[in-house]
Amino acid sequence: MTRLFEDISGPDMAEWCALLNDDNAIHLSRDAAEAAGFGPRRVNPGPANLAYLMTLVGEDLAEVDARFTGNVFEADNLTAEAEPDGDTTRARLLRGEDVLVAAIFKEKP
Amino acid sequence: MSKFLIPDGRYLLTAAMDDRVRHMARAPDRAGERAHPIFAFVAALGGLGLKIADLSAALGLAFERGPVLARCRLSYDAPLLVDRSYDVRAEIDDLQRKPSRVFGAADHLHLSIRLRDERPYSRARLHIVYPAGEA
Repeated sequence: MTRLFEDISGPDMAEWCALLNDDNAIHLSRDAAEAAGFGPRRVNPGPANLAYLMTLVGEDLAEVDARFTGNVFEADNLTAEAEPDGDTTRARLLRGEDVLVAAIFKEKP
Repeated sequence: MSKFLIPDGRYLLTAAMDDRVRHMARAPDRAGERAHPIFAFVAALGGLGLKIADLSAALGLAFERGPVLARCRLSYDAPLLVDRSYDVRAEIDDLQRKPSRVFGAADHLHLSIRLRDERPYSRARLHIVYPAGEA
């Protein structure tokens, strides 16, 4: 299964940070993102990216093992993909290349 | 490994917070009291007994240089529910400085954070990488 997540919201990043109690400026300020070497756009918090995959695969989860291999930036367009692999669902979030890969278990492995 | 003890915290997960997360994650509306499963991460970090910025400072880590999440493992004992408050208990599993192709050197922090009230709900194991700039 596949789903698109288009036009990732910069203002949402501040809301994620408030919920996470996280002041990491790369999520809140373009200047801070640039100064930290991420380029001129704010960086989406990692758990927001993982939440998109959960939206794709469903909410009845026992275990999630996620590796964050790249960054998502404001205004990005993303593709989420998932396919079953035995007892696991293999899921990926892509912006051209993988930015997040996850093994998702509906029952305890 | 660091001997730093992270104070216990609490996280109040409200229906309004879940509504916002569902909107931002483009997820379906909530069914009953069941919160979006990303709260196993959100409540873990958000409910730490001290902010991640302050924990980082206490450990001598360069939070101002923009740490990034490398990996997380979430284990669920039961679905998280809205309009509940959870105890948040965290410990440092590991902290090491390693060479980094990207940053020159990086500090790797491994945290384990459990959510519970009368019973366990979830455990989040986080691997966060901090640019250190020198080996």
